Amino acid sequence: MTTISIWRWPTPNGLPPLPLVAALCAVLGAMWFTASLVEVDWVHLVGSLGKMAAFAGHFLVRPDWEYLPQLFDKMLETIEMTVLATAIAIVVSLPLGVLAARNATPHIVVYRVVRDLLSLMRALPELVWALVFVSAVGLGPLPGVMALALVTVGFMGKFFAEAIEVVDHKPVEGVRAHGAGWLQVRLFAMLPQALPDFVGTVMYILDHNLRAATILGLVGAGGIGYDLVMAMRLFQYDRLILIALAIYLVVTLLDRLSDQLRSRIIHGARA
Amino acid sequence: MSTISIESVTKRFPNGFEALKGISTEIAAGSFTVILGPSGAGKSTLLRLLNGLEIPSGGSIRIAGEALDKGNLRKLRSSVAMVFQQFNLVDRLSVVTNVLTGRLAHRSWVGSVFYLFRTEDMDIAQQALARVGLTDKAWSRADKLSGGQQQRVGIARALAQRPKVILADEPVASLDPVSSEEIMGLLREIRDRDGITVVVNLHQVDLAKRFADRIIGMNSGRVVFDGPPAELSPQALRTIYQREGMEHDNHLDLALAYA
Amino acid sequence: MNKISKIYTASSVPAFPPRPRNLFPVWLAATLAVLWLIVHDLEISFETLVYGVADMGEYFSRYREPDFSDLSRYLELMGITLATALWGTVFALVVGFFLAPLAARNLSPHPLVYRLVREVLNFMRAMPDLLLALVFVAALGLGPLPGALALGVHTAGFLGKFFAESLERVDQGVYEGVASTGANFPQLVMYAGWPSILREALGFTLYILDRNVRMASVLGLVGAGGIGLALHDTVRMFDYGKSGALILVILVTILIIDYASAWLRRRLG
Repeated sequence: MTTISIWRWPTPNGLPPLPLVAALCAVLGAMWFTASLVEVDWVHLVGSLGKMAAFAGHFLVRPDWEYLPQLFDKMLETIEMTVLATAIAIVVSLPLGVLAARNATPHIVVYRVVRDLLSLMRALPELVWALVFVSAVGLGPLPGVMALALVTVGFMGKFFAEAIEVVDHKPVEGVRAHGAGWLQVRLFAMLPQALPDFVGTVMYILDHNLRAATILGLVGAGGIGYDLVMAMRLFQYDRLILIALAIYLVVTLLDRLSDQLRSRIIHGARA
Repeated sequence: MSTISIESVTKRFPNGFEALKGISTEIAAGSFTVILGPSGAGKSTLLRLLNGLEIPSGGSIRIAGEALDKGNLRKLRSSVAMVFQQFNLVDRLSVVTNVLTGRLAHRSWVGSVFYLFRTEDMDIAQQALARVGLTDKAWSRADKLSGGQQQRVGIARALAQRPKVILADEPVASLDPVSSEEIMGLLREIRDRDGITVVVNLHQVDLAKRFADRIIGMNSGRVVFDGPPAELSPQALRTIYQREGMEHDNHLDLALAYA
Repeated sequence: MNKISKIYTASSVPAFPPRPRNLFPVWLAATLAVLWLIVHDLEISFETLVYGVADMGEYFSRYREPDFSDLSRYLELMGITLATALWGTVFALVVGFFLAPLAARNLSPHPLVYRLVREVLNFMRAMPDLLLALVFVAALGLGPLPGALALGVHTAGFLGKFFAESLERVDQGVYEGVASTGANFPQLVMYAGWPSILREALGFTLYILDRNVRMASVLGLVGAGGIGLALHDTVRMFDYGKSGALILVILVTILIIDYASAWLRRRLG
């Protein structure tokens, strides 16, 4: 039957493989089914291209240079929140990571509990936590730092645990054979081995946290986000362009930096 | 008539290494040529130039009378098939699909990017697989095969191109002796039955002597021997395998005696 | 911290000349100093923190009795959120699929194309999705569609970069094998590129779907549809019962998606 047709797929029966077709149909079906939920309206979408262009046109204004000092302050605050939250998270998640690693945990129950705790911490986005913390401790960078640190511990603890789980056994046994205690084995045999992995993870997370910190201001949790929303609401395009540019610059800079650092660690250029 | 003509070709890599220092030769249609030489002699570079995987720094290459340049690169590649030392198959694709990649240049990209092939291409692939004796492995994934089998798939892919020339770059260097024998026999049979010009890079002298019509010996980017296998004397071998700046080396004699 | 370096030298048996550098304490001190400066500059007073933490228990206990009276509406909102994430992810997948081969150094048809596409992907990644959502809401009006677009644009930058890096890691020989037959660029991409990285690419896409579900649940804060707006309103109105219920709905959904995608990734690997 299929041999009559000119075209065929390189499969025994000339038809595309079933799992592939099934997966494709499932995704397309789900999209078709949910198109109305997402309010996908192609006419509207194409029609608003003009609006988009007009919106982009707004950015062709003389930037509000007067705003620069305040922008600098707010960007600095954003970066500071990122660094502080990440630092707190490192300190908290190192011990949690040890407890959540299958080969380092003192007891399997501890392992399960800590793992679940970590996945609970990272389940909700920073912004939700920030929303909650703002109403708990008031406006300012503090709830922002708390929200960032909380979610970061959830991620970092898990990554650390996974990095510890793949360390080489032999040095661990070696150190243990010399009569090292529980804590010593973990400090001197496991952590040093997992360190390069840790550093890579921290760079990724720093990257992520910076992006997250730029929007926390949306709910009043400090950083550039508040100015961003206000500029948006008040149609201050001369400020908006500066803010967007600043975010792009800082994020790109950190991105390049972390890419370089990661490749240096991976390729062992470090002594 | 010659299929391949190479005129004072040089190749210098960006790092300054001069792999080819002026090569000129003709390779006759329907011949079985073995290029012999130590590693680093420039054999591989020469073959890769013939397929357009590298671009010469100087000189010119003509395949069946047509000069190889950027414009007709893909067209000429389709008639000059290549077999690699590491097989270079796509691991995750089935054997048939790997062989069918040999047909890609003959088809527009519209159907082929959806993995759609004409039945005539399937027939060509089937014949090619039958030639290398792997019909029963047609639907296996390429990485599930042994080294010798993978190299046979590589040859089937080359055959599926319906080429004028097959270039084989150290095709047996990663294989055991029995598989090596099979692969060389297969290449020889392809040149005998289909009249396809075959050029093989080798470093095993015995295989070269047994399978070749003509041997080109290379050392540090130059042709140092060119003739039928019968003329490959111990002196000639020494010239091929000598290291630069060394007049005579006893170890080399020893190594060659056991080659 | 000196202990660590001592153990290092003790385990390397034949006595090497002593290592000249041990700057770790210096770095540590510098880091601590910077952190102290930051705390000072952000005007975070430990008093507030301690006070806040003490109050936190009481504060969180207010969420103790979630009010599920509007559950069906919450579930519908969550459905919209999931749909937004799905559309955004598929958009990102499609864009990444086409841009990644152009952004892979060893595949890109021209170094200039490579640089250009890399920059475009970087830009997409650098713009936070909530900022993009603000822009799209301004242009398209309220609703989930601008949210899906924002997620799509932002994560297309991620997927494009990850795909491109995977394509760069594929053995050069595989590309040469297919290119040597005379295949053109699209054929090279489809036969040597994507099949070699298929599993990895699916894994990345599942990660991104996971992430998009999480982000989609807060997009409502800027008017881009979904469950986020409802949560924002109830928190602002100090309606702890409803907020608790909404947070639970989000939490459970995200955990389910998280486990499902982890399971799928394990099966792929």
